[in-house]
Amino acid sequence: MTRFLFFLLILLGPFGLTGCVDALEVKIPEGRPLLAVEGEITDQPGPYLVRLTKTAPYFEEDALPRVRGAVLTLADNEGHQETLREIGPGTYATSTLRGKVGNQYVLTIRSEGEEYRAETEIRRTPEIDSIRAEFRAKTATQNEGYYILYYGEETPGVGDYYRFKVFHNGILLNQPNDLIVTNDEFVDGNYINGVELTSEKGANDKPFAKGDRVRVVAESLPRDYFYFLNEMVTQLNNVGLFAAPPANVRTNVRNVQPGSDKAAVGYFAGHTVRADSLVIR
Amino acid sequence: MLRPFLLFLLLLLPGLTAMAQQPGPGRAPDANASVTLSGYLRDAANGEALVGASVFVKALAVGATANEYGFYSLTLPKGTYTITYTYLGYEAQETPLTLTTSLTRSVRLATRGVQTSEVLITGQKPDENVKSTEMSVNRLDLKQVKLMPALLGEVDVIRSIQLLPGISTVGEGAAGFNVRGGGVDQNLILLDEAPIYNASHLFGLFSTFNPDAVKDIKLVKGGIPAQYGGRLSSLLDVRMKEGNTQRLGVSGGVGLIMSRLAVEAPIVKDKGSFIVAGRRSYGDLFLKLIPAQKDNQAYFYDLSMKANYTLGTQDRLYVSGYLGRDVFAFGKDFKNTLGNRTGTVRWNHVLNARLFANVTGVVSKYDYGLGVPEGNQAFDWKSNIVNYNLKADFNYYRTPQSTLNFGAGAIYYTFLPGRVTPGNASSIFRPLALDEQQAVEYDAYLDNEQTFSARLSAQYGLRLSMFDYLGAGTVFDYEGPDGRQKTPVNPRQYGAGKVIKRYPNLEPRASLRYALSETSSLKASYNRMVQYIHLVSNTTASSPLDVWTPSTNNIRPEKADQVAVGYFRNFQDNAYEASVEVFGKRMDNQIDYINGANTLLNKNLEAELLYGRGRAYGAEFYVKKNQGDFTGWISYTLSRSERQINGLNNNDWYVNKYDKTHYLSVVGLYQLNPRWTLSGTFSYSTGIATTFPDSRYSYQGLIIPNVNGDVRNNYRVPAYHRLDLAATREGKTDPNRRWHGSWTFSVYNAYARRNAYSIYFRQNKDNPLRTEAVRLSVLGSVLPSASYNFNF
Repeated sequence: MTRFLFFLLILLGPFGLTGCVDALEVKIPEGRPLLAVEGEITDQPGPYLVRLTKTAPYFEEDALPRVRGAVLTLADNEGHQETLREIGPGTYATSTLRGKVGNQYVLTIRSEGEEYRAETEIRRTPEIDSIRAEFRAKTATQNEGYYILYYGEETPGVGDYYRFKVFHNGILLNQPNDLIVTNDEFVDGNYINGVELTSEKGANDKPFAKGDRVRVVAESLPRDYFYFLNEMVTQLNNVGLFAAPPANVRTNVRNVQPGSDKAAVGYFAGHTVRADSLVIR
Repeated sequence: MLRPFLLFLLLLLPGLTAMAQQPGPGRAPDANASVTLSGYLRDAANGEALVGASVFVKALAVGATANEYGFYSLTLPKGTYTITYTYLGYEAQETPLTLTTSLTRSVRLATRGVQTSEVLITGQKPDENVKSTEMSVNRLDLKQVKLMPALLGEVDVIRSIQLLPGISTVGEGAAGFNVRGGGVDQNLILLDEAPIYNASHLFGLFSTFNPDAVKDIKLVKGGIPAQYGGRLSSLLDVRMKEGNTQRLGVSGGVGLIMSRLAVEAPIVKDKGSFIVAGRRSYGDLFLKLIPAQKDNQAYFYDLSMKANYTLGTQDRLYVSGYLGRDVFAFGKDFKNTLGNRTGTVRWNHVLNARLFANVTGVVSKYDYGLGVPEGNQAFDWKSNIVNYNLKADFNYYRTPQSTLNFGAGAIYYTFLPGRVTPGNASSIFRPLALDEQQAVEYDAYLDNEQTFSARLSAQYGLRLSMFDYLGAGTVFDYEGPDGRQKTPVNPRQYGAGKVIKRYPNLEPRASLRYALSETSSLKASYNRMVQYIHLVSNTTASSPLDVWTPSTNNIRPEKADQVAVGYFRNFQDNAYEASVEVFGKRMDNQIDYINGANTLLNKNLEAELLYGRGRAYGAEFYVKKNQGDFTGWISYTLSRSERQINGLNNNDWYVNKYDKTHYLSVVGLYQLNPRWTLSGTFSYSTGIATTFPDSRYSYQGLIIPNVNGDVRNNYRVPAYHRLDLAATREGKTDPNRRWHGSWTFSVYNAYARRNAYSIYFRQNKDNPLRTEAVRLSVLGSVLPSASYNFNF
């Protein structure tokens, strides 16, 4: 539904009001570095990767500092457990563990004298029926061109959360406004008969065209991870009269070291992966 | 069920019957010696009631003031007096009268100087600033407002009150206003007694009030009389014109954005009249000219209507209504409509020369709908708040030194927080509805305006209010740590009409005036306010989709205690008035939201609410020049508004987004000659408070801002300042022609400052490693406009 709120914002356009945005210099202090976690486990074969970095001052353009030499263990509720190997600076990988729908996982991170823990799960998933590329004429809100549509059943029972990723000729659409997360509150158990996952533009703002390859990945998410991604969507596209208050995006990485107040950011998420692809003809 | 109220009413009743019997021989101790002079004060040209006009008996140094309906009552010893009727901007009338028995005398006053049909409403005596017990009250002189610069030439009362001390906004284009560090939902906005739940068109650019239909605007920020309640921060009392009882009058205007037309006429001369006023924007008509935009709609309109009729000498009936609507549509892809509608019926009854009664019935509704009309994502989403209000108010003119005001009322509310229905059979959406909610708010009050001596006067009273949150409905308790989404537990079902939760409250009110001299006084006031309904709004500016919610078993009524003291002084025979006020306010049960809260269509909204305390304090300085070719005012406010909410900002106090340390307005009007008036306004304020990040991290290639320690509102956007200019050229006054026209030329944001509405942070589109701060300005350049206004 956020898409419709977005319509409301662009409504001001036709009135020719002189609203505008421009970049501006602001001075802000440099925050102290925190552990930033980015990792996932899926129901597809591993290895699963966890990347550890440090937060950096907001305007610093260098790559984020990697966190090396940490000890990461991953355990599931079936009694499997393994210690991850550091396969590159700050990148840690599993070797044996296999993610499975219905299981729960605990990632433990020991680094620089602190201990952190992140809990997640892999939830049920519907299957993709198909994806299609549909050519549409210009309308009041859409330009002419190919739109990528999703078809598939939604599992009955409220409480399912999804993310969709679209790859255009192998490139992930990954601008802040390409993040698509949704839940089944309004569509529970219904057949999704063609919902746009994109505008007419694909990667690098190039329109989808005949002969282009398109791949769609559907992920079924745990509830808390959905909120994490949804807060990301809000904070990364937070402009307009009705912007939400700027606030930190949630994390599931908790510091469990007694007496420590060092927070961490980021997310270790379990999710399923279902994919389909097509060539536009 | 309503025991405390019945008790209160029973206490009132004996008094009431006693009052109703007066004056009768032998009843009151002074009945034989006293007589009462009463009646109505009206404008000679159009019959409008002169609210606040005064009646004065010099020999006794006593007087009375006309109430909202122009009624006055003055009890005097028998004798011969010269009675003076005065009203600012009108010729005073002096009449010798020999009073041997009670007398009804209605008086019509003529406007001073050139007689035009334009209504001049000031509502103030020249020395009211010093003499009245009221403090923290601002009135707008509509005639003056119409000469001031206006955005796109459209006179806007809500924009204009933001030039007064203590009143601010979170940004241009933002709906509503903030009074003394309170939220936008903490203002009781009444249009002819009917509450307006969203006072904006176009998301906040224009207010819902048509200036052609408005007679009187009063904003009360403190020392709020016991008659009013239900909101914490202020009362904005907007009263519509009654309509010309003497002759047909037409007025209107053509501007860049909209056109206006108002027609008023007698129903029966001197007995009744009506006014109908409408406005419509026509931006959408231009859209039709652009082929790509021809299916799009974006417009708003409003219609204000009022009629009154005199039923004999004792009774008068008023019926008023308002209908406003905003419509936006993008072809068949999207549609949104929203608006207020209100209806008010009032019956004035003079029970006797000293007891005036008014019974009011009100219906008010705010609703919005949005949806996609066609296709596989067709849906229709509706939400509304409706209230029905019945109340009776009495003014009892006990003695020239004391007026008792009392009354009681009840408001029944229904809330539809949101209901979504699929638009057609092939829609992917399923029906989804949040439970409707119901509630009743009761009140009863007693208030006394008392003059103790020439120096000391007071108004004090007590308001008893009570709120019942009613079934049918299912309620929950919520468990979990503050700051995170809580879990609903312990569901309970309630049948229709069952009281789920009851909140009774006592609200004492008092204001005091002590005259230091003829031209200066000290005033002090205290009020406790309780607010039972709340606007759930988690965005910078409140959006038209925000939903009102009642107090529930979890959401407790908001409460505020405010103390204000002030020094008031007039100079040079009331040519200048000045005041300094200092206020302090404490607020309880303030509502806030967890990070990332979803306030729309959320079945477990209460799981995402947080509650805490608020405090606001400040000083307001105001100097106004009322007379001469050059008039205007300077207003400066120094203030602070903070809140402490468990679960936010590490449970520490933080400043509200609408906190403004400095807030300055300068307004000047200069009458160059009888035809040209020049005006200018300048405002300056501290930028709104916001949260800036201090660090960043990356997640799947996207850069996320983060602030250490999870603090809130740690920065300010740059200061806001703006200059507006206007020139008005009146048409020639020709006694043989009734048509009178005028041109207004205005320039908004004369030096084109790009005031920051907000500052946000984003990654650069082309280089995802680069991050930048970005300023959003809503009206960031010069906006010139011209409009033509007429009346005949």
